[in-house]
Amino acid sequence: MARFLLRRVVNYIVMLFLATSFTYFLASFFMDPRSNYLARNPRPPEASINASLTAANINDQTPIFERYWNWLTNIVLHWNWGLSPSQEPVAGAISSRIGASVQLVTLATVLGIVIGVSVGVYTAIRQYKWQDRVLGGVSTFFLVVPTAVLALFVVIGAIYLNQALGFRLFYVTGLHSYDGHNWLLKLSDLGQHLILPTIVLTVITGVTYHLTQRTYLLDTMNADYVRTARAKGLPLNVAIRKHALRTSLIPTTVNVAFSIAGVFTGAVITESVFAINGLGRYFITSIIQNDINASVAIAAFGGACTLVGALAADVAVSWLDPRVRIS
Amino acid sequence: MANTELTVTAATAAEVVADEQGGDQPGLRRTGRATLIVRRFARRRSAVAGLVLLGLLVLFAIFGPMIGQWAYDEPDFLALAQAPSAEHWFGTTTGGSDVFALVARGLGRSLLIGILSSLAITLVAAVIGTTVAFFEGVVERIGMWILDMLLVIPSFLLIAMITRSASGKGGWLVLTLALTAFGWVGYARVLRTLTLSLRELDYVHAARYMGVRSFTIIRRHLIPNLGSVLIIQTVLGVVGAVNSETALSFLGLGVKAPDTSLGTILQAGQSVVLTSPWVLLAPSIFLVALTFSMQLIGDGLRDAIDPYSRSGGKA
Repeated sequence: MARFLLRRVVNYIVMLFLATSFTYFLASFFMDPRSNYLARNPRPPEASINASLTAANINDQTPIFERYWNWLTNIVLHWNWGLSPSQEPVAGAISSRIGASVQLVTLATVLGIVIGVSVGVYTAIRQYKWQDRVLGGVSTFFLVVPTAVLALFVVIGAIYLNQALGFRLFYVTGLHSYDGHNWLLKLSDLGQHLILPTIVLTVITGVTYHLTQRTYLLDTMNADYVRTARAKGLPLNVAIRKHALRTSLIPTTVNVAFSIAGVFTGAVITESVFAINGLGRYFITSIIQNDINASVAIAAFGGACTLVGALAADVAVSWLDPRVRIS
Repeated sequence: MANTELTVTAATAAEVVADEQGGDQPGLRRTGRATLIVRRFARRRSAVAGLVLLGLLVLFAIFGPMIGQWAYDEPDFLALAQAPSAEHWFGTTTGGSDVFALVARGLGRSLLIGILSSLAITLVAAVIGTTVAFFEGVVERIGMWILDMLLVIPSFLLIAMITRSASGKGGWLVLTLALTAFGWVGYARVLRTLTLSLRELDYVHAARYMGVRSFTIIRRHLIPNLGSVLIIQTVLGVVGAVNSETALSFLGLGVKAPDTSLGTILQAGQSVVLTSPWVLLAPSIFLVALTFSMQLIGDGLRDAIDPYSRSGGKA
């Protein structure tokens, strides 16, 4: 087991290194930090533009491989992910935003998985009955509604509800607005801010898990070993619970493991509609500001999360699935 | 022909054609595969509704700009942020642009981007997925490793980096290319898995030992065998592509002014949610209609093509 894990980890680190380097070249090719300065009025002198670009190691007049080497050695030797065009360290800006992202997405992910998988099992057992058709229709609808549309309509609904109630029940921007020390008020304040984006994210996560879990369970429900269990006299419910459900949870577990990446980077739209300063919103800001180092660092962080998820999936599958032998 | 008592629907019309071609024995009706699929598809009301809805949307995208009184890039400075009226059917934005014209133009753009990139993604994924599986051994291992590596960084982030620099009238093309460039990897992995059983088929072996060139085998035997999967994937891929396009344009990274797409209009509507909600309402309805109709068609096709489908009816 340990050797298997070690091999996987080494493999993943090589992958992450290549993918991040590829992203660095891509970002350097497509993003143009010089245009930030050229657009200013009055335009700064050429020499000072070059000086600040060189200080941040994003000067397009320096050969790309030299910039890449500087960037790489800084990360490997000093864990320094470089500077923004505004000379602000990227690493600090990212770590301060991870907290907001985690606060926002954790609850929604857990809720989405639990609700989605339960509804998936419920509808699979009642395949083609009215419950399945209604819930399936609703989920298919929410599956295809673009996140921006969903989030904006939740905002409109909340604003009208606030107006109808006469006081502010829901906050539609940010994560905090209470500054005192009463923890109860602090918690309710967080709740008032968090509930709307959580609804949006839960719906998005939940419908995917519903539809996939339904398919997985239906696939295993018709398998030979379930029929054997039925033939031996097991009631349908027991046969499903003991035999079909367990196997059908294996692919779902893989999806759950991979959703770790989404916890940090998957809420780009929701964060920008609800004005929450998480990683997703920071990524968009850094792209718009031609911040090469920051966007590469976020992409690398997203990649690292994907690979942690992949590793978790490897372990979970080998633990759940008796057919997988890893040693 | 024995089925004159049936009303002539699209399904039976196709059947008649099939009968004329293959019905050499009188009294024995042969049902072709295409006929079967069309008939099963037509039996699903939701799928037919999706097809009709998509047809209406396409017509609107083509003829909408002609019947509207205003062009999308011709703001009416005498009517800023006006509610829907006889002059401006869907109202106007704060800049005075006619929302009807914007939506008709934006729907066309979203459709174009969605369909083109979905087609391109399926094509690239089919060629690479089957090629990786066909050559087995070292090629397959290296190929799979590269595919896995390309999946490490979330593709949305990479697409956003590329489209950031695109602007102006050609921006939509850059967006389509970017969606294709990073959208095919996941599909290619799925198709490779499906090819694993195809490459063991007897006639594929036979072709190999007869010395048929590898790419001819891939083109002539492997890809056509995946046909139904590819069709479903293309249809459902449009939903994904339209959603990505909307998300990017909404964030200001996709299609940008002076051009417009449904996502771009949504972005404009976001800031005026309370004062002029019609700017948000019109593109939202069209966007959801577009993705939902595509999904209904895709689901209908999947059930019609799947030989094990139990979704209703016989044959």
